[in-house]
Amino acid sequence: MSFMQPSPVKYACSCGILNPINKLFFCRHCPKLRCGFCVTHEIESHFCSNCLENIPSTEARHKKNCCANCFDCPCCQHTLSARASTVPVVRKTEEAKEPKDGDSKGDVTPPVPATSKPSAVPTTKKMYYLSCLSCRWTTRDVGIPDQGVATGTWPDNECLYQARFNALVEYFQAVVLQEKQEKLEFMRRKAPKQHKFPSLTDRTGLTVSLIRRQIGWNDKAPKAKAVITPVEATAEVEGLPANIFTEPLNLRNVTTITQRHSQPADQPTAVVSLYPQRRSLWIKRSLRCRQCEHNLIKPEYHPTSIKYRIQLFASYHVPEVVMVRCEQPLVAGKSNAILLKLTNPTMYDMTIRLLTTSPPEDPQLLTEATRVVKEESITSSPLLKTVGITLSRQNSTREVKRDVIDVSNAEIVPLESDFVLSQRDDSKEFDEDVQLPTEEPKFIVWRKGNKVLLRLQFTPAEKLPGSTDVVLGFYMQYTYVNTVNNTPEKREPTTHALHSRVFITAGATEQKAN
Amino acid sequence: MPIYESVMQEKPPIVLDIGTAYTKLGFAAEAYPRKIMPTEVVMTTTGIRKRLFDYDTPEELYDQLVDFLQTIFFKHLLVSPKERKFVLVENVFGPTVLRETLARVLFVHFDVSSVLFVPVHLIALSTLAVPTALVVDVGYSETSVMPVFSGVQIMAAFKDQSYGGSAIHAEIKRQLVEQGVKESLLTESVLEDIKVRTCFVTTMERAQARVNGGEDQPTPAPDVDYIVSDNDAVIQVPGLLRETVYEIMFEASNERDSLPHLILRSILDCTLDVRRALVESVFLVGGGSMVQGLLARLRQELQHLLAEDPFYAERFHGQLQFKFFNAIGKQNFTAWLGGALCGATDLIQTRSLVKETYLKSEHVPDWSNLCDNRPTGS
Repeated sequence: MSFMQPSPVKYACSCGILNPINKLFFCRHCPKLRCGFCVTHEIESHFCSNCLENIPSTEARHKKNCCANCFDCPCCQHTLSARASTVPVVRKTEEAKEPKDGDSKGDVTPPVPATSKPSAVPTTKKMYYLSCLSCRWTTRDVGIPDQGVATGTWPDNECLYQARFNALVEYFQAVVLQEKQEKLEFMRRKAPKQHKFPSLTDRTGLTVSLIRRQIGWNDKAPKAKAVITPVEATAEVEGLPANIFTEPLNLRNVTTITQRHSQPADQPTAVVSLYPQRRSLWIKRSLRCRQCEHNLIKPEYHPTSIKYRIQLFASYHVPEVVMVRCEQPLVAGKSNAILLKLTNPTMYDMTIRLLTTSPPEDPQLLTEATRVVKEESITSSPLLKTVGITLSRQNSTREVKRDVIDVSNAEIVPLESDFVLSQRDDSKEFDEDVQLPTEEPKFIVWRKGNKVLLRLQFTPAEKLPGSTDVVLGFYMQYTYVNTVNNTPEKREPTTHALHSRVFITAGATEQKAN
Repeated sequence: MPIYESVMQEKPPIVLDIGTAYTKLGFAAEAYPRKIMPTEVVMTTTGIRKRLFDYDTPEELYDQLVDFLQTIFFKHLLVSPKERKFVLVENVFGPTVLRETLARVLFVHFDVSSVLFVPVHLIALSTLAVPTALVVDVGYSETSVMPVFSGVQIMAAFKDQSYGGSAIHAEIKRQLVEQGVKESLLTESVLEDIKVRTCFVTTMERAQARVNGGEDQPTPAPDVDYIVSDNDAVIQVPGLLRETVYEIMFEASNERDSLPHLILRSILDCTLDVRRALVESVFLVGGGSMVQGLLARLRQELQHLLAEDPFYAERFHGQLQFKFFNAIGKQNFTAWLGGALCGATDLIQTRSLVKETYLKSEHVPDWSNLCDNRPTGS
């Protein structure tokens, strides 16, 4: 598999998008290829990418998706690290300064003057500040005092207008609620009478008011109008500072737009008002098939683990096609051959055919699909149907399936027969013995273990202009042994004949000589 | 409000304001957005950054929106969009295809439970708790003026012109290239940085002196050496440029379509009774309005036009003084803030477009669509 460069071999996902095999997943239950676009993404767990601590989702929501301990540099968005510095502290003066500084300190300090000299002994104390190892920004630059503990109580920049905002929220909630009540009242009055006999009290709400009066409440409903002091418009607007035309501008003191946006609440224009920003969390994702709602990818919970609990990558289930080389330089209209290496990643032998037209769908899969539909129609009761709700996973199939864009521009000579790709056997890798020469089809060049090198003949299209990419497209039909079963009655693995469309970018045609 | 509180504790609605240049995103009932990020997508095939709204076909837009929202949900907001409620701040005169595609992406691909579209000018005003104002939105691609009276937008008096952030960028580029600065240095981000960090709106007296010409030109503001860190190059930003790039908003021309004219004409398009109220409540929102000196200059220009221009002097009567509102928070997310306020109320339950309704017709109701506004049902 080409690691750093885009792979020339692309598989068509069941949703119609072309992807290299390492970006595809394989749903064993459907069984179909899936890609990142046609699966639902879900959030598995939150964690901090710096301290690798797992944070439960409720706590994450409470902390606004920020880590409690880690900070980002407001200048360059790099992670800040806590640095310790020793500060000489005169015990006596400190005590005098901070008399209410906890009882524990009080217990420790009295023996000191008793044992040592009564004069002030300079001792040292560790103080911490945050520093950016990338751009050398420190919390001291902006005048944030050093903290006594490493994970100290660094100031959170609070929102200046929070009180006003809360008042606004309350006001609008009250207004909307009041509107709703008024509407209800109106509807009640307008509604046609339910009773056989018309009653005046129904229409006027007289009974309510009578009851209210009997209890001794005020006749009017206690409707407290929502009030808020609106903002006043002013004619006095802030002008330009007088020195803007004379003072030279020092760009070092003016923040960039990224720095401003990383502090969305106050967006400071001066560098001195930058504050350390809490680092935002990252997530682990799990992927789910839209069709059958089975998990395709489920990572292990712990942030430090890179393993999966469920991993249905396509490269574990679908034969991998690798382009080795073309036999001759690519020339438009001239027949050529390409060497392809196919690898079987599964524990079962595969029979493979390369076709130029779409093979029929596996009849077994079709029947299964219809059976599922039938079951659903039984379970959804007529009542639910009339309401218009179905219990089936309706929306999942709503994503429009796209047609695969046929980008191939070369004629392929289909292989005369199918061939078997033997199972993967890791122990065979180390076997020295040479395989017995068996009767092989002519197109097979080489075979070892679960790998086959084959030769495919093709002709690039006649009218291709010079230096355009030649793309070969074919259907690869393969037998797949499914070990999971949707049906409870039969337990043994079933074999499906699946196919996927493969496109290979063979390279550019030669420039015309003239 | 027990029902409301339980809903809020469950899942706060997501508020999105997708602008041409920057997207503001966050949750309802929060006082500021979680992130302000460029409205850009990175193409997975080529790795090129691209503006979200640069597209050739609706399918391309659909894919880009899916990519873009995916990053918002899983990299920034860290919540699953499934079964969520949304508040989207939208341009009243935005293209229909955008709105429809966005709705389709949210409902079909992300499976959200409801979407509430709110118009940008009206919702920006809600942050002030006043019902009447002339809302001027200085955005990236355009500047638009919408009078709102008693909470109703006066659509007939809507005005817009193409001078926004991008026009300023073009002007900076033009002036710098004239100075002999290499064009390859002046990327969009460099231009934006120069605009944000060095430029300002000059006073009216100085601008007039420049226009009139003559001997005693005011001395321009000091030059600034701007360092392009990627290329190790230094661009000298002349003081004249710092002062004059914003003049394209105030340029006097025969078209009479500069920003002061736009505001005055919009007011004139409203009925007589609301004009005084609008004059006394002008509200500037949008990232473009955060530049130093804009309000002062605008006030000067407006007052000057009222007094001196015969066209307006004939039509406006009495002692009029333009008054301005100060936004709470920063102007570049005022519209978002309005959305956050709206999402905190019960309106999200009653006024939203819910999934079931959408899936029935696959259509977003629109004020400009006759199908949704026929007097006797559909």
